[in-house]
Amino acid sequence: MADTPILVMKGIRKTFDKSVALDDVSFELNAREIHGLLGGNGAGKTTLMNILYGLYKKDSGEISLHEKKINISSPRDALHKHIGMVHQHFLQITSFTVLENIVLGTEIHNKYSMDLSVEATKIQALQNRFNLAVDLNISIGDLPMGTRQKVEILKALYRGAEILILDEPTTNLTPQEVDDLFKSLRVMVDQDLSIVFITHKLREVLSVCDRISVLRNGRNVVTLKRDEANEEAFVRGMVGDEMDIQNSVIFSRGKSGQIGAEHIRAEVCLHLDQVQLASQGSVPRLKDISFKLRHGEILGIAGVAGNGQRDLAEVILGITLPTGGKVELDAKDILAMPTNQRLESGIAYIPEDRLLDGFLPKASVAHNLILGFHRKAPYSSGGFINWNTVHRTAAELIKTYNIKTSGPSDVGGNLSGGNIQRVLIARAFSKPANLLVAHNPTRGLDIPSMDFVYSRILEEKKKGLATLLISEDLDELLLLCDRIAVLYRGELVGTLDRSKFEKYEIGRMMSGYRAEE
Amino acid sequence: MTIMAKSKPTILNTLIPYVAAILIALAAVGVFIALMGFDVLKAYYTILFTSFRTPNGFIQTLLKFIPLVLQAYAFTVPLAAGKFNIGGEGQLIVGAIGAAAVGILLPDLPPLLLIPLVLLGGIVAGALWGFIPGWLLYKFNINEILTTVLLNFVSFALINYVATGPWRDPAAGHPTTIPIGRGGYLPLLVDNPPLHAGIIIALLVAVAVYFYTTRSTAGYELVATGANPRAAGVFGINVKYMFVLSIVIAGGIGGLSGAIEVSGVQHRLIEGLQHNFLVLGLIIGLIAKGNNMAVPFVAFFIAVLEVGASAMQRTLMIPVEMVFIVEALVLLFVLLSDVVRRK
Repeated sequence: MADTPILVMKGIRKTFDKSVALDDVSFELNAREIHGLLGGNGAGKTTLMNILYGLYKKDSGEISLHEKKINISSPRDALHKHIGMVHQHFLQITSFTVLENIVLGTEIHNKYSMDLSVEATKIQALQNRFNLAVDLNISIGDLPMGTRQKVEILKALYRGAEILILDEPTTNLTPQEVDDLFKSLRVMVDQDLSIVFITHKLREVLSVCDRISVLRNGRNVVTLKRDEANEEAFVRGMVGDEMDIQNSVIFSRGKSGQIGAEHIRAEVCLHLDQVQLASQGSVPRLKDISFKLRHGEILGIAGVAGNGQRDLAEVILGITLPTGGKVELDAKDILAMPTNQRLESGIAYIPEDRLLDGFLPKASVAHNLILGFHRKAPYSSGGFINWNTVHRTAAELIKTYNIKTSGPSDVGGNLSGGNIQRVLIARAFSKPANLLVAHNPTRGLDIPSMDFVYSRILEEKKKGLATLLISEDLDELLLLCDRIAVLYRGELVGTLDRSKFEKYEIGRMMSGYRAEE
Repeated sequence: MTIMAKSKPTILNTLIPYVAAILIALAAVGVFIALMGFDVLKAYYTILFTSFRTPNGFIQTLLKFIPLVLQAYAFTVPLAAGKFNIGGEGQLIVGAIGAAAVGILLPDLPPLLLIPLVLLGGIVAGALWGFIPGWLLYKFNINEILTTVLLNFVSFALINYVATGPWRDPAAGHPTTIPIGRGGYLPLLVDNPPLHAGIIIALLVAVAVYFYTTRSTAGYELVATGANPRAAGVFGINVKYMFVLSIVIAGGIGGLSGAIEVSGVQHRLIEGLQHNFLVLGLIIGLIAKGNNMAVPFVAFFIAVLEVGASAMQRTLMIPVEMVFIVEALVLLFVLLSDVVRRK
């Protein structure tokens, strides 16, 4: 009985406008298993599960549950069939308590008095059964991400989910919280739940899943049991045959340890001294930030999202002015310098929020590729833009960075998220720079593109580029950085050298513990 | 995800919704004209061909075209930066006042000096009038739609004050000033029927706006600001400055349209010289969807309709308002075509 699938998806096809997101994809889920759904960005993992959860309508294919064909029209319908999903970005009301968030939108026993004790008892039973301890009476805004995730899982379980879909559940969790989550998942399958675990991180599926399916470009690649397969097979499945794995940064760098330390030069490129940024409220946005970043060095800024990363980047770029402290570039005070001059004096910037901060959807791809450099030669001279040069350069960048677009005059809004990210990266690397401030530079990219970005950063490092790599992806930081500093509530709680990199130590600092010096 | 190549928009593809919108609008109005008992085909013929049948009709059309195209640019230039200038009317009036003031105060200058000074007076006055909402936006973040509209009302009072003040022409029954110096009259390109040189200025403005917005660095910053002000700011463009600049430029263009009315048409300041140019300018800008290349063509089309409308009223006794309805319907259908295409 154990190997009869309770859920079968067969021949699923889904197109958005003219692009094919899923093509003849099949998926099976057994009872009491954790099934990993692995693939790079744009592989179609989330699309497939959104179809199962009733968020998207499939174009063709069939779904059967317990050997009965079903049709899922909406998330409500999915929950009715005991399928629940936890999304990557939680939809929680921060001023409500945990209990209120869980019961929100469900039938409440004492509707008029809002006495939730009946519901609380039910939830406590679930908590005991699945070992998911959370205090129900705390407002949710005060909780760390790992706990908020548990609430989200409880929400699905409270609604009767027996099949639980987790979409990239480890985003924004510290390594400790990830371990915790994995333990809970084990308890849940022991208690008769079945889980689909969507991720792009190979290590995670290998450590927690029973079976693993790999998707690439909207197609099935392979489904294997955990113990039948080796890492190599999954890597191939994810990246395809074209990528040179041996020479890739992602798959080879970690093994050879210290690479690139010899490129670090003595000259300091960026120096922040006691930088403060007060906010209207009581908690400062940045507090006493001091660090030196040398030429040829990559300094990582780790931290859970929303701990001041964006403010830090914007203070360096001059978009936000600090309320105290000094910012020096190559030993020159740049506090009084406006953003455009900072960009001209050699700071390249890849902003975090590509749509809001980095892209002109209504302008052409060529417009986008020169944003920030548009006043400088060779793009402009005497107050006029040299569109011939711009278009020629844009065409080259489109080719080098594999941007999928009809050409330099294509309207930016026609590009997909991953391609917009490529535009931002192409722009940042299109001019020689002294300092690169990159905030989540590989978000939304597939693995070969991520690898390309990493190799570009390392190449420029050899030439003396100083990089401030602000990232929520700890693996990315561990892979590339010479040092990692951890940002917690606007403060740097510690800095580690590459020789002392340790995931759990960084994880502790990400939740606010100071490093022992 | 695989991205398929999108079909490239050809000129034909872009024109189809416009032609369709015009046909549907004309058909809709035809129903009303027929119900009112007039000859529909004759009405169509008059509306569309008056401009092209006689030299007089064509010159009338060009004279209408001048203020319309300038008013349309006063709207579309700030629109490129994402700002709405609804103050073209006030900028025209204040520009006319500035032009008239120069022309009245320096009546004896030769044309070579006075014409440029009169035009400049209009441009500067209009730009200053545009600077007020620009500054309020820059300093206090006050919505420019509100301030530009309200300043139109202020300009009505201002022209009334000037035209009934010390420069008043006592012989006129309507608030009017004495004429500007002869040297300030725009020269005529054609004597009979008269066509003044304003048409050349209007075409020069069209070329300048086109080059400014598509070729210059400042124009690039204007477009970037309009496309995404936040990203433009992150990459070093002083967005607030661009907002102000765009409204000041628009004010200058609006002021120029007022100066041309004074120096080319009226030769004096007359209350009411703004007609309904603002509303038509907005309609032109919106039908052109803010595309500065398309503005002159749309403006010419609207000028044809306007001239046809007057002729229709004169010869067929059909009220000119019928043509306003056509213009409004064309705009509605063009906007609607976007919605239809998205579905």
